[in-house]
Amino acid sequence: MRCAEIQPNLAAFVLGGLEPEEAAEVRSHLASCPSCHDEVRELQKVNRALEATPPHADPPSYLKNEILSRVRAEGLSPPNKEQTDESSSLEEQTGSFRTSRFNRLKELRIILPSAAAAAVVAMVALGVFFGFLREEPPVATIQLMPTPEEAARLDGYWGVAEIHPQPSGNQQVELKLNNFEEPKPNSYYEMWFVSGHRRISAGSFTSVGEGETRVLLNVPPDARNYRTLLITEEHIDNNPASSQEVALKGELP
Amino acid sequence: MGFATSDILDNRQKSPRRMMPQRADELSDEQLMARLAGPEVEAAISELYDRYSRTVYGVGLKILGERSSVEELVQDVFLKVWRSSHTFDPSRSSFSTWLYRVTRSCALDLYRKRASRVRQVPDGDLHIAASRDPSDGPQEIVDESWLSWRVSRALQVLDAPHREVIALAYFGGLSQREISERTGVPLGTVKTRTASAFKSLRGELAIQDTSREAMR
Repeated sequence: MRCAEIQPNLAAFVLGGLEPEEAAEVRSHLASCPSCHDEVRELQKVNRALEATPPHADPPSYLKNEILSRVRAEGLSPPNKEQTDESSSLEEQTGSFRTSRFNRLKELRIILPSAAAAAVVAMVALGVFFGFLREEPPVATIQLMPTPEEAARLDGYWGVAEIHPQPSGNQQVELKLNNFEEPKPNSYYEMWFVSGHRRISAGSFTSVGEGETRVLLNVPPDARNYRTLLITEEHIDNNPASSQEVALKGELP
Repeated sequence: MGFATSDILDNRQKSPRRMMPQRADELSDEQLMARLAGPEVEAAISELYDRYSRTVYGVGLKILGERSSVEELVQDVFLKVWRSSHTFDPSRSSFSTWLYRVTRSCALDLYRKRASRVRQVPDGDLHIAASRDPSDGPQEIVDESWLSWRVSRALQVLDAPHREVIALAYFGGLSQREISERTGVPLGTVKTRTASAFKSLRGELAIQDTSREAMR
Protein backbone atom coordinates (compact mmCIF):
# COMPACT_ATOMS: atom_id res chain seq x y z
CA MET A 1 0.00 0.00 0.00
CA ARG A 2 1.09 3.54 -0.58
CA CYS A 3 1.90 6.03 2.18
CA ALA A 4 -1.16 8.14 1.35
CA GLU A 5 -3.42 5.16 2.02
CA ILE A 6 -1.66 4.14 5.22
CA GLN A 7 -1.22 7.50 6.91
CA PRO A 8 -4.88 8.13 7.84
CA ASN A 9 -4.72 4.86 9.82
CA LEU A 10 -1.50 5.50 11.71
CA ALA A 11 -3.04 7.26 14.72
CA ALA A 12 -5.63 4.50 15.07
CA PHE A 13 -2.83 1.95 14.70
CA VAL A 14 -0.88 3.55 17.55
CA LEU A 15 -4.03 3.50 19.66
CA GLY A 16 -4.54 -0.21 18.90
CA GLY A 17 -7.92 0.58 17.36
CA LEU A 18 -7.60 -1.05 13.94
CA GLU A 19 -9.09 -4.36 12.92
CA PRO A 20 -6.48 -7.17 12.84
CA GLU A 21 -6.20 -7.23 9.03
CA GLU A 22 -5.80 -3.44 8.86
CA ALA A 23 -3.13 -3.52 11.55
CA ALA A 24 -1.27 -6.24 9.63
CA GLU A 25 -1.27 -4.06 6.50
CA VAL A 26 0.14 -1.14 8.45
CA ARG A 27 2.87 -3.31 10.01
CA SER A 28 3.80 -4.63 6.61
CA HIS A 29 4.06 -1.12 5.19
CA LEU A 30 6.10 0.17 8.12
CA ALA A 31 8.69 -2.56 7.64
CA SER A 32 9.60 -1.04 4.30
CA CYS A 33 8.85 2.67 4.80
CA PRO A 34 11.20 4.69 7.03
CA SER A 35 9.10 7.82 6.61
CA CYS A 36 5.89 6.26 7.96
CA HIS A 37 7.94 4.47 10.60
CA ASP A 38 9.22 7.82 11.84
CA GLU A 39 5.68 9.17 11.80
CA VAL A 40 4.52 6.29 14.00
CA ARG A 41 7.31 6.99 16.48
CA GLU A 42 6.13 10.59 16.77
CA LEU A 43 2.53 9.49 17.24
CA GLN A 44 3.63 7.05 19.92
CA LYS A 45 5.06 9.99 21.86
CA VAL A 46 1.62 11.59 21.83
CA ASN A 47 0.10 8.29 22.91
CA ARG A 48 2.52 8.04 25.84
CA ALA A 49 1.86 11.66 26.80
CA LEU A 50 -1.84 10.85 27.14
CA GLU A 51 -0.92 8.66 30.11
CA ALA A 52 -0.25 11.90 32.00
CA THR A 53 -3.79 13.18 31.43
CA PRO A 54 -5.08 14.50 34.74
CA PRO A 55 -8.35 13.11 36.13
CA HIS A 56 -11.34 14.42 34.23
CA ALA A 57 -13.32 16.31 36.83
CA ASP A 58 -15.09 19.62 36.98
CA PRO A 59 -14.45 21.86 39.95
CA PRO A 60 -17.53 22.37 42.10
CA SER A 61 -19.71 25.14 40.72
CA TYR A 62 -19.61 27.24 43.88
CA LEU A 63 -15.86 27.80 43.52
CA LYS A 64 -16.25 30.28 40.70
CA ASN A 65 -18.85 32.30 42.60
CA GLU A 66 -16.64 32.33 45.63
CA ILE A 67 -13.65 33.60 43.67
CA LEU A 68 -15.75 36.30 42.02
CA SER A 69 -17.17 37.30 45.40
CA ARG A 70 -13.65 37.65 46.79
CA VAL A 71 -12.60 39.72 43.80
CA ARG A 72 -15.68 41.89 44.24
CA ALA A 73 -15.13 42.27 47.97
CA GLU A 74 -11.46 43.09 47.65
CA GLY A 75 -11.99 45.12 44.50
CA LEU A 76 -12.33 48.32 46.52
CA SER A 77 -8.56 48.45 46.18
CA PRO A 78 -6.67 47.91 42.91
CA PRO A 79 -5.31 44.37 42.81
CA ASN A 80 -1.76 45.00 41.88
CA LYS A 81 -0.73 46.93 44.90
CA GLU A 82 -0.84 43.87 47.10
CA GLN A 83 2.58 42.46 47.84
CA THR A 84 2.48 38.94 46.52
CA ASP A 85 4.55 36.04 47.66
CA GLU A 86 5.46 35.05 44.13
CA SER A 87 9.04 34.14 43.56
CA SER A 88 11.43 36.91 42.70
CA SER A 89 11.55 35.85 39.07
CA LEU A 90 7.83 36.42 38.78
CA GLU A 91 8.32 39.82 40.35
CA GLU A 92 10.88 40.59 37.70
CA GLN A 93 8.26 40.29 34.99
CA THR A 94 6.71 43.67 35.58
CA GLY A 95 7.76 45.60 32.48
CA SER A 96 5.07 46.08 29.90
CA PHE A 97 1.98 45.74 32.05
CA ARG A 98 3.17 48.17 34.69
CA THR A 99 4.00 50.65 32.00
CA SER A 100 0.66 50.31 30.30
CA ARG A 101 -1.17 50.77 33.58
CA PHE A 102 0.83 53.83 34.36
CA ASN A 103 -0.11 55.23 30.99
CA ARG A 104 -3.73 54.41 31.63
CA LEU A 105 -3.61 56.34 34.86
CA LYS A 106 -2.23 59.30 33.00
CA GLU A 107 -5.01 59.03 30.46
CA LEU A 108 -7.53 59.15 33.25
CA ARG A 109 -5.77 62.22 34.56
CA ILE A 110 -5.59 60.83 38.05
CA ILE A 111 -3.04 62.95 39.81
CA LEU A 112 -0.90 60.98 42.21
CA PRO A 113 1.55 62.86 44.40
CA SER A 114 4.09 60.12 43.88
CA ALA A 115 4.18 56.41 43.33
CA ALA A 116 5.77 55.87 46.72
CA ALA A 117 3.16 57.88 48.56
CA ALA A 118 0.42 56.06 46.69
CA ALA A 119 1.91 52.72 47.63
CA VAL A 120 2.05 53.71 51.30
CA VAL A 121 -1.55 54.88 51.21
CA ALA A 122 -2.61 51.71 49.48
CA MET A 123 -0.76 49.47 51.90
CA VAL A 124 -2.26 51.25 54.88
CA ALA A 125 -5.68 51.01 53.29
CA LEU A 126 -5.21 47.35 52.47
CA GLY A 127 -3.95 46.67 55.96
CA VAL A 128 -7.00 48.28 57.50
CA PHE A 129 -9.34 46.70 54.97
CA PHE A 130 -8.02 43.17 55.16
CA GLY A 131 -7.42 43.37 58.86
CA PHE A 132 -11.03 44.31 59.28
CA LEU A 133 -12.27 41.66 56.91
CA ARG A 134 -10.21 38.75 58.03
CA GLU A 135 -9.38 39.21 61.66
CA GLU A 136 -12.37 40.91 63.25
CA PRO A 137 -14.93 38.39 64.43
CA PRO A 138 -18.42 38.78 62.99
CA VAL A 139 -20.73 41.09 64.93
CA ALA A 140 -23.56 38.61 64.52
CA THR A 141 -23.90 34.96 63.61
CA ILE A 142 -27.34 33.86 62.51
CA GLN A 143 -28.43 30.28 62.15
CA LEU A 144 -30.60 29.77 59.12
CA MET A 145 -33.12 26.99 59.42
CA PRO A 146 -35.64 25.55 57.02
CA THR A 147 -39.14 26.86 57.41
CA PRO A 148 -41.53 24.38 59.05
CA GLU A 149 -42.92 23.41 55.66
CA GLU A 150 -39.47 22.78 54.26
CA ALA A 151 -38.27 21.05 57.42
CA ALA A 152 -41.06 18.53 57.10
CA ARG A 153 -39.89 17.65 53.61
CA LEU A 154 -36.12 17.93 53.98
CA ASP A 155 -33.64 16.69 56.50
CA GLY A 156 -30.37 18.23 57.62
CA TYR A 157 -30.45 21.43 55.61
CA TRP A 158 -28.99 24.42 57.43
CA GLY A 159 -26.99 27.54 56.98
CA VAL A 160 -25.07 30.15 58.92
CA ALA A 161 -24.77 33.85 58.06
CA GLU A 162 -22.01 35.92 59.66
CA ILE A 163 -22.30 39.70 59.53
CA HIS A 164 -19.14 41.75 59.09
CA PRO A 165 -19.57 45.55 59.12
CA GLN A 166 -17.44 47.31 56.53
CA PRO A 167 -15.65 50.65 56.84
CA SER A 168 -18.02 51.95 54.16
CA GLY A 169 -21.02 51.24 56.36
CA ASN A 170 -22.13 48.32 54.22
CA GLN A 171 -22.51 44.98 55.90
CA GLN A 172 -20.85 41.97 54.43
CA VAL A 173 -22.63 38.68 54.91
CA GLU A 174 -20.57 35.53 54.79
CA LEU A 175 -23.06 32.79 54.05
CA LYS A 176 -22.24 29.13 54.57
CA LEU A 177 -24.78 26.56 53.51
CA ASN A 178 -24.54 22.86 54.09
CA ASN A 179 -26.06 20.33 51.71
CA PHE A 180 -28.32 23.03 50.36
CA GLU A 181 -29.90 21.68 47.24
CA GLU A 182 -29.24 23.36 43.93
CA PRO A 183 -31.98 25.66 42.68
CA LYS A 184 -34.37 24.33 40.07
CA PRO A 185 -33.56 25.02 36.41
CA ASN A 186 -33.87 28.71 35.51
CA SER A 187 -33.88 29.61 39.20
CA TYR A 188 -31.46 30.99 41.74
CA TYR A 189 -31.39 31.91 45.41
CA GLU A 190 -31.60 35.38 46.85
CA MET A 191 -30.92 36.57 50.39
CA TRP A 192 -33.11 39.25 51.94
CA PHE A 193 -32.98 41.36 55.08
CA VAL A 194 -36.57 41.82 56.17
CA SER A 195 -38.35 44.21 58.50
CA GLY A 196 -42.14 44.01 58.50
CA HIS A 197 -43.21 44.35 54.88
CA ARG A 198 -39.93 45.91 53.78
CA ARG A 199 -37.07 43.89 52.42
CA ILE A 200 -33.57 44.63 51.14
CA SER A 201 -31.76 42.19 48.89
CA ALA A 202 -28.25 41.12 49.89
CA GLY A 203 -27.64 39.49 46.52
CA SER A 204 -28.24 36.33 44.58
CA PHE A 205 -26.33 33.09 44.32
CA THR A 206 -26.56 29.42 43.51
CA SER A 207 -25.52 26.43 45.56
CA VAL A 208 -23.65 23.20 44.98
CA GLY A 209 -26.06 20.73 46.50
CA GLU A 210 -24.04 18.21 48.46
CA GLY A 211 -21.23 19.81 50.48
CA GLU A 212 -20.62 23.36 51.59
CA THR A 213 -21.61 26.44 49.63
CA ARG A 214 -19.86 29.61 50.81
CA VAL A 215 -20.63 33.01 49.32
CA LEU A 216 -20.06 36.64 50.25
CA LEU A 217 -23.01 39.01 49.96
CA ASN A 218 -23.51 42.65 50.88
CA VAL A 219 -26.29 44.89 52.15
CA PRO A 220 -26.32 48.68 52.59
CA PRO A 221 -26.20 50.36 56.02
CA ASP A 222 -30.00 50.72 56.08
CA ALA A 223 -30.34 46.99 56.58
CA ARG A 224 -28.83 47.28 60.05
CA ASN A 225 -32.27 47.39 61.68
CA TYR A 226 -33.76 44.63 59.56
CA ARG A 227 -33.74 41.66 61.90
CA THR A 228 -35.03 38.79 59.75
CA LEU A 229 -32.96 37.00 57.12
CA LEU A 230 -34.66 35.06 54.36
CA ILE A 231 -33.33 33.00 51.49
CA THR A 232 -35.84 32.65 48.69
CA GLU A 233 -35.79 30.74 45.47
CA GLU A 234 -36.27 33.14 42.57
CA HIS A 235 -37.16 32.30 39.00
CA ILE A 236 -35.81 33.71 35.77
CA ASP A 237 -39.01 34.71 34.02
CA ASN A 238 -40.97 37.75 32.95
CA ASN A 239 -42.30 38.45 36.43
CA PRO A 240 -40.14 41.10 38.12
CA ALA A 241 -41.70 40.52 41.55
CA SER A 242 -39.71 38.50 44.06
CA SER A 243 -40.99 35.05 44.85
CA GLN A 244 -42.50 34.01 48.16
CA GLU A 245 -40.73 30.64 48.15
CA VAL A 246 -38.75 30.83 51.38
CA ALA A 247 -36.10 28.15 51.69
CA LEU A 248 -34.26 29.27 54.84
CA LYS A 249 -35.00 31.77 57.56
CA GLY A 250 -33.11 33.26 60.48
CA GLU A 251 -33.44 36.01 63.07
CA LEU A 252 -30.72 38.38 64.22
CA PRO A 253 -30.13 38.09 67.94
CA MET B 1 -7.62 69.67 1.90
CA GLY B 2 -6.35 67.95 5.02
CA PHE B 3 -7.96 66.84 8.24
CA ALA B 4 -7.22 68.31 11.62
CA THR B 5 -5.99 65.82 14.21
CA SER B 6 -8.98 66.63 16.37
CA ASP B 7 -11.34 65.64 13.52
CA ILE B 8 -9.67 62.27 13.19
CA LEU B 9 -9.84 61.67 16.92
CA ASP B 10 -13.49 62.69 16.98
CA ASN B 11 -14.28 60.29 14.15
CA ARG B 12 -12.47 57.49 15.92
CA GLN B 13 -14.44 58.05 19.06
CA LYS B 14 -17.69 57.94 17.15
CA SER B 15 -16.97 54.81 15.20
CA PRO B 16 -19.26 51.93 16.18
CA ARG B 17 -16.28 49.59 16.53
CA ARG B 18 -14.85 51.71 19.28
CA MET B 19 -18.19 52.18 20.94
CA MET B 20 -18.99 48.48 21.10
CA PRO B 21 -17.21 46.66 23.92
CA GLN B 22 -15.63 43.38 22.95
CA ARG B 23 -17.05 40.30 24.67
CA ALA B 24 -14.74 38.52 27.10
CA ASP B 25 -15.06 35.22 25.26
CA GLU B 26 -13.72 36.86 22.11
CA LEU B 27 -10.51 37.99 23.77
CA SER B 28 -7.19 36.20 23.99
CA ASP B 29 -5.86 35.12 27.37
CA GLU B 30 -3.37 37.95 27.25
CA GLN B 31 -6.05 40.55 26.50
CA LEU B 32 -8.10 39.24 29.41
CA MET B 33 -5.09 39.58 31.69
CA ALA B 34 -4.76 43.21 30.67
CA ARG B 35 -8.39 43.75 31.68
CA LEU B 36 -7.81 42.56 35.23
CA ALA B 37 -6.73 46.10 36.09
CA GLY B 38 -9.87 47.73 34.77
CA PRO B 39 -13.58 47.84 35.45
CA GLU B 40 -14.20 44.58 33.57
CA VAL B 41 -12.19 42.56 36.03
CA GLU B 42 -15.05 40.20 36.91
CA ALA B 43 -15.84 39.33 33.31
CA ALA B 44 -12.15 38.79 32.61
CA ILE B 45 -11.47 36.56 35.60
CA SER B 46 -14.71 34.68 34.92
CA GLU B 47 -13.64 33.91 31.35
CA LEU B 48 -10.14 32.86 32.41
CA TYR B 49 -11.73 30.61 35.02
CA ASP B 50 -13.97 29.00 32.40
CA ARG B 51 -10.98 28.34 30.16
CA TYR B 52 -8.54 27.03 32.73
CA SER B 53 -10.28 25.87 35.92
CA ARG B 54 -10.62 22.28 34.70
CA THR B 55 -6.92 22.09 34.00
CA VAL B 56 -5.98 23.62 37.34
CA TYR B 57 -8.42 21.30 39.11
CA GLY B 58 -7.32 18.17 37.26
CA VAL B 59 -3.62 18.83 37.67
CA GLY B 60 -4.26 19.79 41.31
CA LEU B 61 -5.96 16.44 41.88
CA LYS B 62 -2.92 14.75 40.43
CA ILE B 63 -0.55 16.65 42.74
CA LEU B 64 -2.53 16.92 45.96
CA GLY B 65 -5.04 14.09 45.72
CA GLU B 66 -7.55 15.44 48.22
CA ARG B 67 -10.50 17.30 46.75
CA SER B 68 -10.68 19.76 49.64
CA SER B 69 -7.05 20.76 49.12
CA VAL B 70 -7.60 21.04 45.39
CA GLU B 71 -10.59 23.32 45.84
CA GLU B 72 -8.38 25.52 48.01
CA LEU B 73 -5.77 25.37 45.26
CA VAL B 74 -8.21 26.54 42.58
CA GLN B 75 -9.22 29.52 44.69
CA ASP B 76 -5.64 30.39 45.55
CA VAL B 77 -4.60 30.18 41.92
CA PHE B 78 -7.30 32.41 40.46
CA LEU B 79 -7.05 34.97 43.24
CA LYS B 80 -3.31 35.05 42.67
CA VAL B 81 -3.88 35.50 38.94
CA TRP B 82 -5.88 38.59 39.79
CA ARG B 83 -3.59 39.95 42.47
CA SER B 84 -0.36 39.19 40.62
CA SER B 85 -1.51 40.01 37.11
CA HIS B 86 1.13 42.75 36.93
CA THR B 87 3.85 40.10 37.08
CA PHE B 88 2.66 38.53 33.84
CA ASP B 89 4.69 39.58 30.84
CA PRO B 90 3.26 38.20 27.58
CA SER B 91 6.57 38.80 25.82
CA ARG B 92 8.23 36.25 28.10
CA SER B 93 5.73 33.40 28.21
CA SER B 94 2.24 32.41 27.21
CA PHE B 95 -0.52 32.82 29.76
CA SER B 96 -0.88 29.06 30.01
CA THR B 97 2.77 28.67 30.96
CA TRP B 98 2.58 31.50 33.47
CA LEU B 99 -0.59 30.04 34.97
CA TYR B 100 1.07 26.66 35.29
CA ARG B 101 3.83 28.34 37.22
CA VAL B 102 1.34 30.04 39.54
CA THR B 103 -0.44 26.71 40.00
CA ARG B 104 2.81 24.92 40.79
CA SER B 105 3.77 27.57 43.32
CA CYS B 106 0.37 27.42 45.05
CA ALA B 107 0.38 23.61 45.01
CA LEU B 108 3.80 23.51 46.62
CA ASP B 109 2.61 25.90 49.33
CA LEU B 110 -0.44 23.73 50.02
CA TYR B 111 1.62 20.57 49.92
CA ARG B 112 4.01 21.95 52.53
CA LYS B 113 1.19 23.33 54.63
CA ARG B 114 -0.50 19.95 54.59
CA ALA B 115 2.75 18.18 55.41
CA SER B 116 3.29 20.45 58.42
CA ARG B 117 -0.25 19.76 59.58
CA VAL B 118 0.37 16.04 59.34
CA ARG B 119 3.62 16.31 61.30
CA GLN B 120 1.68 17.75 64.20
CA VAL B 121 -0.11 14.45 64.82
CA PRO B 122 1.27 13.47 68.23
CA ASP B 123 1.56 9.71 67.78
CA GLY B 124 3.60 10.15 64.65
CA ASP B 125 1.69 7.52 62.71
CA LEU B 126 1.02 9.58 59.66
CA HIS B 127 -1.98 9.24 57.48
CA ILE B 128 -0.65 10.37 54.15
CA ALA B 129 -1.70 7.98 51.43
CA ALA B 130 1.32 5.96 50.36
CA SER B 131 0.51 6.24 46.68
CA ARG B 132 3.84 7.78 45.76
CA ASP B 133 7.43 6.88 46.03
CA PRO B 134 8.44 8.31 49.42
CA SER B 135 11.78 9.34 47.96
CA ASP B 136 9.97 11.96 45.89
CA GLY B 137 10.09 15.39 47.45
CA PRO B 138 7.31 17.89 46.86
CA GLN B 139 9.31 19.58 44.12
CA GLU B 140 9.66 16.34 42.18
CA ILE B 141 6.00 15.53 42.56
CA VAL B 142 4.94 18.95 41.39
CA ASP B 143 7.37 18.95 38.50
CA GLU B 144 5.78 15.78 37.15
CA SER B 145 2.65 17.83 36.68
CA TRP B 146 4.03 19.85 33.76
CA LEU B 147 3.29 17.07 31.31
CA SER B 148 -0.18 16.67 32.78
CA TRP B 149 -0.76 20.38 32.34
CA ARG B 150 0.34 20.31 28.72
CA VAL B 151 -1.79 17.29 27.89
CA SER B 152 -4.80 18.79 29.59
CA ARG B 153 -4.42 22.04 27.67
CA ALA B 154 -3.86 20.17 24.40
CA LEU B 155 -7.07 18.19 24.97
CA GLN B 156 -8.98 21.36 25.83
CA VAL B 157 -7.99 22.83 22.48
CA LEU B 158 -9.70 19.98 20.61
CA ASP B 159 -13.29 20.49 19.66
CA ALA B 160 -15.91 18.15 21.09
CA PRO B 161 -16.06 15.59 18.23
CA HIS B 162 -12.27 15.17 18.19
CA ARG B 163 -12.05 15.00 21.98
CA GLU B 164 -14.77 12.36 21.91
CA VAL B 165 -12.87 10.01 19.62
CA ILE B 166 -9.75 10.32 21.76
CA ALA B 167 -11.76 9.70 24.92
CA LEU B 168 -13.42 6.63 23.46
CA ALA B 169 -10.29 5.24 21.83
CA TYR B 170 -7.66 5.96 24.47
CA PHE B 171 -9.60 6.10 27.71
CA GLY B 172 -12.45 3.82 26.66
CA GLY B 173 -10.27 1.34 24.82
CA LEU B 174 -12.68 1.10 21.89
CA SER B 175 -11.62 0.22 18.36
CA GLN B 176 -12.38 2.59 15.51
CA ARG B 177 -15.22 0.33 14.37
CA GLU B 178 -16.70 0.21 17.89
CA ILE B 179 -16.54 4.01 18.11
CA SER B 180 -18.36 4.24 14.81
CA GLU B 181 -21.06 1.85 16.00
CA ARG B 182 -21.47 3.61 19.33
CA THR B 183 -21.60 7.15 17.99
CA GLY B 184 -23.26 6.52 14.63
CA VAL B 185 -20.44 8.39 12.90
CA PRO B 186 -19.17 6.72 9.69
CA LEU B 187 -16.00 4.68 10.18
CA GLY B 188 -14.04 6.82 7.72
CA THR B 189 -14.96 9.97 9.66
CA VAL B 190 -13.89 8.35 12.92
CA LYS B 191 -10.51 7.55 11.42
CA THR B 192 -10.13 11.03 10.00
CA ARG B 193 -11.03 12.58 13.34
CA THR B 194 -8.60 10.33 15.19
CA ALA B 195 -5.77 11.23 12.83
CA SER B 196 -6.65 14.90 12.99
CA ALA B 197 -6.91 14.87 16.80
CA PHE B 198 -3.48 13.26 17.10
CA LYS B 199 -2.05 15.82 14.73
CA SER B 200 -3.51 18.64 16.82
CA LEU B 201 -2.30 17.10 20.09
CA ARG B 202 1.16 16.69 18.65
CA GLY B 203 1.26 20.32 17.56
CA GLU B 204 -0.06 21.65 20.86
CA LEU B 205 2.35 19.57 22.93
CA ALA B 206 5.23 20.81 20.80
CA ILE B 207 4.18 24.46 21.18
CA GLN B 208 3.82 24.14 24.93
CA ASP B 209 7.11 22.33 25.20
CA THR B 210 8.78 25.32 23.55
CA SER B 211 7.04 27.74 25.86
CA ARG B 212 8.49 25.83 28.83
CA GLU B 213 11.87 27.15 27.82
CA ALA B 214 10.52 30.67 27.90
CA MET B 215 9.24 30.04 31.41
CA ARG B 216 12.64 29.29 32.84
